[in-house]
Amino acid sequence: MGTAENNKRSVVVGVFVLLAIIILVAGIFILGGKQKRFEKTLEVKAVFDNIAGLKAGNNVWFSGVKIGTVKSLQLYGTSQVEVTLKIEEDVQKYIHKDSKARLGSESLIGNKIIEVYGGTPQAPVVEEGDRLQIEQALSTDDIMETLQENNKNLLAITTDFKKLSNDLTNGKGTVGALLSDSTLANRFQSIVSNLQQVSATTSQASASLSQFTHKLNNKDGLVNQLLTDTVVFNQLKGSVNQLQTTASSASAISGNLEKASNNLNRNNNALGMLLNDEQFATQLKGTIQNVETSTKKLDESMDALRYSFFLKGAFKKKAKADAKQQAQ
Amino acid sequence: MHTDAPKEGLEKANKYVLSRKLDQIFVNLAEVYRFVVRFFQEVFLPPYEWQEVINQCFQVGVRSLPLISLTGFIIGIVFTNQSRPSLADLGATALLPALIAVAIVRALAPLVTALIAAGRVGSNIGAELGSMKVTEQIDAMEVSAVNPFKFLVVSRVLATTFMIPTLTMYTMIVALMGGYVNIHANELTSFKSYINQVFDAITFLDIFSSVIKAFVFGFTIGIVGCYKGYNSSKGTEGVGKAANSSVVTSMFLVFIEELLILQIVNALRG
Repeated sequence: MGTAENNKRSVVVGVFVLLAIIILVAGIFILGGKQKRFEKTLEVKAVFDNIAGLKAGNNVWFSGVKIGTVKSLQLYGTSQVEVTLKIEEDVQKYIHKDSKARLGSESLIGNKIIEVYGGTPQAPVVEEGDRLQIEQALSTDDIMETLQENNKNLLAITTDFKKLSNDLTNGKGTVGALLSDSTLANRFQSIVSNLQQVSATTSQASASLSQFTHKLNNKDGLVNQLLTDTVVFNQLKGSVNQLQTTASSASAISGNLEKASNNLNRNNNALGMLLNDEQFATQLKGTIQNVETSTKKLDESMDALRYSFFLKGAFKKKAKADAKQQAQ
Repeated sequence: MHTDAPKEGLEKANKYVLSRKLDQIFVNLAEVYRFVVRFFQEVFLPPYEWQEVINQCFQVGVRSLPLISLTGFIIGIVFTNQSRPSLADLGATALLPALIAVAIVRALAPLVTALIAAGRVGSNIGAELGSMKVTEQIDAMEVSAVNPFKFLVVSRVLATTFMIPTLTMYTMIVALMGGYVNIHANELTSFKSYINQVFDAITFLDIFSSVIKAFVFGFTIGIVGCYKGYNSSKGTEGVGKAANSSVVTSMFLVFIEELLILQIVNALRG
């Protein structure tokens, strides 16, 4: 094998190995970048009662952003677990001493995570070795327990419904009878029909009422003026006062009238005598007959006077003046 | 004239410590032990056959790259496709990249690379050394003052030991790309999102355990191929046997090692 061939092979093998090393190193750097291995970190701790399978290397989130990983887990106290969190120094300024940590999950079947949340800007930022307060999150067991309780409730509800539907089908109870009894159904139908009519009538009535109230509200309407126009009110008040006065006057008049009629019924006055005394009536009748006879005679006398010499000219003159006035 | 020293010794003694077969197994074990020890003695002692090591690296690594790449890419696609229905049942096809990453980086890449290399390189080494042994080329080398063990065995074992991890790196990348092609075609996952999910799922321990596994597999394939070829029996039949048994034995050992290393890694993972 020639030297040139050897050199060529050496170069090819060198490139081949170099590429593989580049792949390895790139992989390590990407992984390191993901796990924040090459970034400055600070450690904070949190003590949980139950970590539900959290493992070292699981992610730590803050507001949904990965800010670090779980460094280690250690049993603590009687039955608690101390979790050491490795958090990037860049995010230190966002996490305050009153922030809390809770156990969460990336998804329903995903990895466990630690969620750091809360914290007020008034509190100083978290420092190396600080212990975060924790909130014990609902574990899957707790969720299952609640679900079990829900299941029991659901069972009770469906059992009740089953009984109810059974009763309904068999015509038990009012609603059951309503569903199964045809007479009741017919009555109900007629009630509904009546109700329909009533509602139609009520509708009409309300329409009329609406019209009426509209009229009432009309500015030109009497009632509206009565209700709103103070001038009319005052006039009305005045009229009522006057009416009252009139009524009292009428009352006085009627009192006088009563008195007068009483007097009329008596014979001790002229009109009462005229009305009540028969003797006086007969005398008055005779007097009137005499007056009548006298006036008849006076009439004849006056006619004779007309044709008399002295008054004849005056009557002619008057007749001419009347004729002239009529012609005009 | 070649002489098989241990067998000859047994025949001369004409009696067996346990039984013929059991004695043979233990004698073989002792031979393997001696072979491995000799490798470690020779590897650190000068002179170093660098050019031959590079030549073997070229044969084992560069020449295997197309085959390994194609296999890795297909495995990426097939594994993704076959895993999808199970995750789809849970409505969790979004977890496919993580599943693929863990499967490829932790197990498939080193294992597939080792098996392909065992088939291609192991058989090659076994047959090559076997035919050299049969044609007495190894004896000739000894006569011409060239250390055949150093030139033939050390160079090949070193080449496989370093080239299998190198190939494993390529397999990882290519298989992950295969997985991406399939996932992108079905779930329309972006490349960035895919890479993010892949690297979220794996750890340093996954990568390092795979690389270490690949070193162990590479050493196994090289040493088994060389041992079988170096100790092949006479005749053309011996060459075939050496090639065949080097592939079978190295594949078998690869699986055993995979199992053992898995236990150790799991213990480390805690």
